[in-house]
Amino acid sequence: MATLLQQLINGLVLGGLIALIALGYTMVYGIIQLINFAHGEVFMVGGFASLATYRYFLPPSWRSDWWLALPLMAIGGAVVAVVLAVVMERFAYRPLRNAPRLAPLITALGVSVILKEVVRLGYPGATAPVPFPRAFVDQQYRFEFFDGTVSIGSTAILMIVVSIIGAIVLQTYISRSRMGRAMRATAQDPDTARLMGVNPNRTIVLTFTIGGALAGLAGVLYGIHITNVDTEVGFLYGIFAFTAAVLGGVGSIKGAVIGGFAIGLIKTLSGQYFPGGTQYDLVWIFVLLIVVLVFRPQGLFGEPERVRA
Amino acid sequence: MKEWNEYPDGWVWLGQILLVGAGIAAVVLLVRLLWRVATPYLAERPALDRPLGIAGGVVAIIGALLPWVTFVLNDGPYPDKATLQFFDSPWALSGFRLHTLIIGVLAIAVVFLPLPRRRVLRALGWGSIGIALVNILFPIIDGGGFGAITSDGESFAFGGIATLIAAVLLVFAAKAGGVLEPIPHWKSAVPTLVAYAVLVVSFVVLLLVVAMLLNSGGQGGVGNPYAGPIFLSLLAFLAGVLGALHAIGLTTWISALSDKHKWFSVIVLLVVALALPFTEAGTDYWMTTAANIGVYAATAIGLNIVVGLAGLLDLGYVAFLGIGAFVAANFSGAAAAAVGIELPFVVAALIAAVVAGIFGAVVGSPTLRVRGDYLAIVTLAFGEIFKKAAQNNIGGLTGGANAIPNVPPVSAFGQPFDQPLTIGSVELPSGVLYYVLIIVLVALVMVVFANLKNARIGRAWIAIREDEDAARAMGIKTGQAKILAFLIGAMLAGLAGAVFAHKTSTVAYDSFQFIESVTLLAAVILGGMGSIPGAVLGAALLLVLPEKLREFADYRLMLFGLALVLIMRFRPQGLVPDRHRRAELANEGAEGVPIEELNVHDDTPGDSKAVTR
Repeated sequence: MATLLQQLINGLVLGGLIALIALGYTMVYGIIQLINFAHGEVFMVGGFASLATYRYFLPPSWRSDWWLALPLMAIGGAVVAVVLAVVMERFAYRPLRNAPRLAPLITALGVSVILKEVVRLGYPGATAPVPFPRAFVDQQYRFEFFDGTVSIGSTAILMIVVSIIGAIVLQTYISRSRMGRAMRATAQDPDTARLMGVNPNRTIVLTFTIGGALAGLAGVLYGIHITNVDTEVGFLYGIFAFTAAVLGGVGSIKGAVIGGFAIGLIKTLSGQYFPGGTQYDLVWIFVLLIVVLVFRPQGLFGEPERVRA
Repeated sequence: MKEWNEYPDGWVWLGQILLVGAGIAAVVLLVRLLWRVATPYLAERPALDRPLGIAGGVVAIIGALLPWVTFVLNDGPYPDKATLQFFDSPWALSGFRLHTLIIGVLAIAVVFLPLPRRRVLRALGWGSIGIALVNILFPIIDGGGFGAITSDGESFAFGGIATLIAAVLLVFAAKAGGVLEPIPHWKSAVPTLVAYAVLVVSFVVLLLVVAMLLNSGGQGGVGNPYAGPIFLSLLAFLAGVLGALHAIGLTTWISALSDKHKWFSVIVLLVVALALPFTEAGTDYWMTTAANIGVYAATAIGLNIVVGLAGLLDLGYVAFLGIGAFVAANFSGAAAAAVGIELPFVVAALIAAVVAGIFGAVVGSPTLRVRGDYLAIVTLAFGEIFKKAAQNNIGGLTGGANAIPNVPPVSAFGQPFDQPLTIGSVELPSGVLYYVLIIVLVALVMVVFANLKNARIGRAWIAIREDEDAARAMGIKTGQAKILAFLIGAMLAGLAGAVFAHKTSTVAYDSFQFIESVTLLAAVILGGMGSIPGAVLGAALLLVLPEKLREFADYRLMLFGLALVLIMRFRPQGLVPDRHRRAELANEGAEGVPIEELNVHDDTPGDSKAVTR
């Protein structure tokens, strides 16, 4: 029983991370129907940027105080991720807005490869996983549960809390604020939204900004939780997050969060209990992705896909 | 973990990055400004093309004679590495200085000839921009900053600068009058014998050019860091000349002739390809590389059926190459094979193709319900599942992390294919038999592709690509057609995989990663979706360039990514566009890229129309 609970907790932590990344996917897809393949790399870059903030920008005396270091790292990571996402939108995706549908996807693939390689070659020592500082209270809470001990770290709690709060804030922003309404309008019908006085370019940039900020935040959280970053994680978590977004229903905030937690749980539980163990846990996620796409492409909470040319 | 002090100060580093970024932005803005001012000015003054063309030609000739920093090979670091070449023997020019001189002379000549001069000048101009940039930037980047293009801190390497100016003049000459002349149409109704002679000559020239390109600058690597720039510079020159030939209608004429005498050209092309081992490129090294290119080209053609014809993006395609390779390896009698029987290569290859085809149909089956970019993700997921399964040695069939080593080479008539071959007194390099095998394979795959493309099913695929709903309304069974596309594409990849297994002799799961799928996709897109010569050219470029640019090997993947982005932005139809796609994506935005004219051996009909702009 303790193992099960431990894996449930691990799954929720992983799920929170995936949910944060999935929010960016789902918002961008909702508004311009683009699978932003490079979004996972934005997350990875966010992690590296926060690490660089800690290493190269923070004065050494500030680095021991987590309440000073962590927010600054989060800001560093998020700012770089946002700049990256906006630049990407402006120079790679916007010129292709009226191109055939495969063109932006291939471009996104290219951008993703470029980002990964730039970090791998440009960041000192990034050809291997780079150790991440313990910039947060590193406390393990243990408690007895039936037949064993279950532990949860403070970083894990932070991850879950931040992802849930982030999702709630985002949901409120999108459903209540003026810009949120503009975003929903653009997603529904860009031409009519433009007629109603919404500036679609501004709205799209805002979407990328929010997505980038969340991905950057996820990068910091990943770093302090796993205590290293690696250029490989962008692709992997990008796929997880995409699966989560699809599972929850692309375009739905609630769906992305629930999908994220579901993917996290499936990964840890299948690694524990399914044949093949952790070596095949990715395979189960991919199988789930295929099954969802084939049998319920609108996901759990999404609207049925509109007919598009 | 390193200490704080061991790293550079972040703020200094940030400042440098911003400075470099600002510099690049300033250059880009300046070029755009110049372009914006000059283009409308020149558009109203068509009479300027002659003086600008002559001026460009003269400056190019002067540039060729002025001192350059060249890749004259002195061993050792800068400043010994970059040697300034002075104008001491004007008639002993060689290499890129000779090329620049030729461009200058051609530019002056074309001004006085009754030819579409603006078009020719445009091609020559972009070619010399390429030459100048390669030869200016490489010494700076590779030789140690701007100091590398001044000698002794005093005299300056003006040759490169002059050539750059000449190139800009030539490009502007082409802009005079605003519109380019039409490409002249040459009559293709010539006597058969003349046509045959022309075709033979052009293909032989093509062979010699390819051999020259492959050998230019020697083999890349640590010992010879100059192979890359010399190769690129030659490539730019040849692209410029080819563009000029296209501008006067020659390549169009040859391609029309080869359409007319299709079988003859196919045979000549095959003979010419098989003659490559007898040229200067006939070394062990290039035979091996050429065989690798062949494997990738065959796979890329298979992928082209799925992506280029049927319009279904497949991001896990390399899995089929892998399945073919593992099947062939298991039937090869290798010690690590799970299956104890050893089958002849041909049988094993056929089994590999069939198995890969079955998997292709399975992977393709979601196409019945999933469309567009969702489908791309499904194929990506299949690719990852394959990789994971192979990594974990599923069913003991893949060897897992240990791979399947020691797959024996293919052999026929007692001659193993990896050994040198001696015919009479001629000693051919080892690997030549694999080269021949691959050429036959690629030819086979091309024939399959060309026939399918013009058959009923091919037209159905293209209809599905253009508009699936309309295709269905026209009575096409879209589900069947799409699964068939996946099946046939996968079979071709499986076939290539069988050759791959025997040729590399070790089949490991990590040869079939996501990035290989991206490479294949890049080959198809670079060459032009739906075009056969495009896929071969794309695969060849993507494999030859890394061989030549060894010192930039680290940047290979980054450049792939950049290529994908830039092609999608500026030239979505690829270098050798298929004629359907060309019509479809006609709103081309990029200038230059004169390699478009490389399709002298295109065997699809009607590819003779000019690129409209």
